[in-house]
Amino acid sequence: MRRRGTAVLAAAVLALAAGCDATGAESGGTLRILASSELADLRPVLAAARKDIGVTVKLDYTGTIDGVQQVVDGTAERAHDAIWFSSNRYLALQPGARAALGPSVKTMASPVVLGLRASVAHGLGWDRTRPTWAAIAAAAGAKRFTYGMTNPVSSNSGFSALVGVTAALADTGAALDTAAVDRVAPKLRGFFAAQRLTSGSSGWLSDTYAADPGRVDGLVNYESVLLTLNASGKLPEPLTLVYPSDGVVTADYPLTLLSSAPRNASDTFRRLTAYLLRPAVQRKIMDATHRRPVVPGVRPSAGFGPEPPELPFPARRQAADALIDAYFNRLRRPSRTVYVLDVSGSMEGSRLASLKSALTALTGADTSLSGRFQRFHDREEVTLLPFSDKPGPPATYVVPERNPGAELARIRNYAGGLRARGGTAIYDSLERAFAVVGEQAAREPDRLTSIVLMSDGESNAGADAGDFRAWYGTRPAALRGVPVFPILFGESATGEMNDLATLTRGRTFDARTQSLSSVFREIRGYQ
Amino acid sequence: MRRTFSIVLAGALIVGVVIAIVQGRGSSGGTVTVRGVIGSEKQAFFDDPAVRRVLARHGLKVEVDPAGSREIATSVDLGKYDFAFPSSSPAADKIRQRRQAGRYTPFSSPMVVATFQPIAELLEKAGVVKRSPVWTFDVARYLDLVARNVRWDGLRGNTAYPVRKNILVSTTDPRSSNSAAMYLAIASYVANGDAVVRNPAEERKVLPALSRLFLDQGYTDNSSEGPFADYLALGMGKTPLVCAYEAQFVDAAVRGRLKPGMVLMYPSPTVLSKHTLIPLDGRGDRVGRLLSTDAELQRLAARHGFRTADPAQFAAVARERRVPVAPDLIDVVDTPSYDTLEHLLTGVAKAYG
Repeated sequence: MRRRGTAVLAAAVLALAAGCDATGAESGGTLRILASSELADLRPVLAAARKDIGVTVKLDYTGTIDGVQQVVDGTAERAHDAIWFSSNRYLALQPGARAALGPSVKTMASPVVLGLRASVAHGLGWDRTRPTWAAIAAAAGAKRFTYGMTNPVSSNSGFSALVGVTAALADTGAALDTAAVDRVAPKLRGFFAAQRLTSGSSGWLSDTYAADPGRVDGLVNYESVLLTLNASGKLPEPLTLVYPSDGVVTADYPLTLLSSAPRNASDTFRRLTAYLLRPAVQRKIMDATHRRPVVPGVRPSAGFGPEPPELPFPARRQAADALIDAYFNRLRRPSRTVYVLDVSGSMEGSRLASLKSALTALTGADTSLSGRFQRFHDREEVTLLPFSDKPGPPATYVVPERNPGAELARIRNYAGGLRARGGTAIYDSLERAFAVVGEQAAREPDRLTSIVLMSDGESNAGADAGDFRAWYGTRPAALRGVPVFPILFGESATGEMNDLATLTRGRTFDARTQSLSSVFREIRGYQ
Repeated sequence: MRRTFSIVLAGALIVGVVIAIVQGRGSSGGTVTVRGVIGSEKQAFFDDPAVRRVLARHGLKVEVDPAGSREIATSVDLGKYDFAFPSSSPAADKIRQRRQAGRYTPFSSPMVVATFQPIAELLEKAGVVKRSPVWTFDVARYLDLVARNVRWDGLRGNTAYPVRKNILVSTTDPRSSNSAAMYLAIASYVANGDAVVRNPAEERKVLPALSRLFLDQGYTDNSSEGPFADYLALGMGKTPLVCAYEAQFVDAAVRGRLKPGMVLMYPSPTVLSKHTLIPLDGRGDRVGRLLSTDAELQRLAARHGFRTADPAQFAAVARERRVPVAPDLIDVVDTPSYDTLEHLLTGVAKAYG
């Protein structure tokens, strides 16, 4: 009995000591980090950090421009101590951003390169000699290969590729300025003509390619993502990594303390970053994620190509923004975007109101940074197809390159006039949407096409899921290449919506845990 | 027996915890906690357990917050601190305009350009670099290359680094970082016809050439750790030439982080980054005095790559680690005054738009 008493006393003392430690910040501590979504692959490393140094890391994920927006408007600091994006370069160009950022430590590196199916790379001779970006752009313009790339405002890999190819084509030897963007626009249009697949995240792009490698000849993505794909054993033919000889833009994953963070967070930050730079941890990161180590003692694995030269990233915000604007409004293949929108009786009230405001935000009404780049772009063809008991008449708008404001206002007016009544004929309406896409594509085939389906409940009129699947199976291959992005909202039939996303190689988005507006913005990355 | 042992263990734990708690409270145990705001290059020095032990022997526990030297000079609330320890004498001068105080200059470090053997040899052929007795980097010839937009692949006989990029030294962001300001001080001296820039007319004359040195690089990192870490880890592809403190290079050598073929070059001319401690009260003064006079602390500073009052300490570290440092710095010029440097930095910042 007495012995147990002593043991309990000793345990209590130890607990007390541990408690002191936590407040003295010698161990323990939690760091709340706003992070790029691709950092989800570090979970095992962070779990080990918790075990080894007692630091708990809570990651919340965000896209590129949304993350920048949150730092700049101050929402990031409300719930986070630090940010961990693939790169801070675009963020640092924003007014006020530098003041919001504290100490920063680069944790790993991965250049953005082109991965092409081995046979295609061989046919182009790029497995033997490294092409310049100009040669790559010329081959793309001549349709000698096709590729997928992420959306530059949603994902850093797409943005890095856009900056890299433009800087290389401008060939000034120095950082890009606004005039250079205009000068190389024709060549860039050639490069982007071969882009057949877009995505809001590097991970989804990689998964989609793995699921159907016949869809494009390759991907522009992080070296780490391409090496991971090759190592997965899922590809019938490996990707050859093509490192452009004139250079790349590299993600360097700076873990950055926010200057608003409390003092104990800055101690935790220092211990976590010191831990991440330990040679053993760097090796573990390299083995798990195929990203390059950033400490000298760790020998890079054989899978990495030789160190490519780094292309300069713009020093001026105007140059970066002009490039993004040019990409969406002039350079990329324009999109064809169809919204199938549930306006049945259950949408009455706040649901319809949030649908209207989500649509309105995309017509240029949202003047934030993300709003500016996520609006309906010049040249984009937008079709709104409201439905209840049956599909309503589709309303199609093409945003002109000059003075887009008037057409955007028409979309806004239309959205404002939506009324809720009646039942829910999801599958009839979806079939109608595919028919509309078919007619539009017959007139003008060269558009990146996708369908958004927003419904707050189960289908209770017209065709059911089985009928749709049978009908879909008889469609021509071109139509079956159009992804559907169902939004889970209200009392959505989650299973059916997931099946639909799988069938059409789209993905679902959840508007039950976040606002419909943020989901609509997130989907912009996939359109 | 076992029972006795556990009682003793528990007793020892209690005593230990009590001691820890008392020590944690700071001054009550005879230890004084001193708070300083420092240029981030000295963070590793103050974090060094050996440094903390020596300070503790003198009854001091020093807690530091890193900040940019310009911020320390202008925007940091000095009321929270016992001393300020920026990395340059212009910043220190500025603080002394705000606060009447003494100054200590316990250590210094010249600006250097770090590179790789093939690059050094290329630039030697181009007449920009000489190698006797240490590698020197001719800033006037370099500025001439920049003015003519010479690219790496435009250098004759270049097979070692045939890259389309302009020849440019990588730096930090001049708007936030002291090392970039020191680099600007060097370039301004040369661009001004080998004379320290002293008046607005001279500022206007040199600004266009200086702005290009930064803007043509594109995005630059905020802190001096950034580009030098790239140099160490990612190598020649990303960072063929990087402006750094000599201390960073020597420190990397001491920690075994240099790879074969990494080359240290001294710009001609160069400037000294004088790490200047401004005591803001008596506690801060004790730290300043100790850092300047305590042989053990000076020795530890030398191990972090800094030059101290006793040149033998730095020389010993360099010899032991086989870093080919310049034992005597000859071609060192003065930095412009705080206000002139500030005007130049503001001028460059404007060019960023």
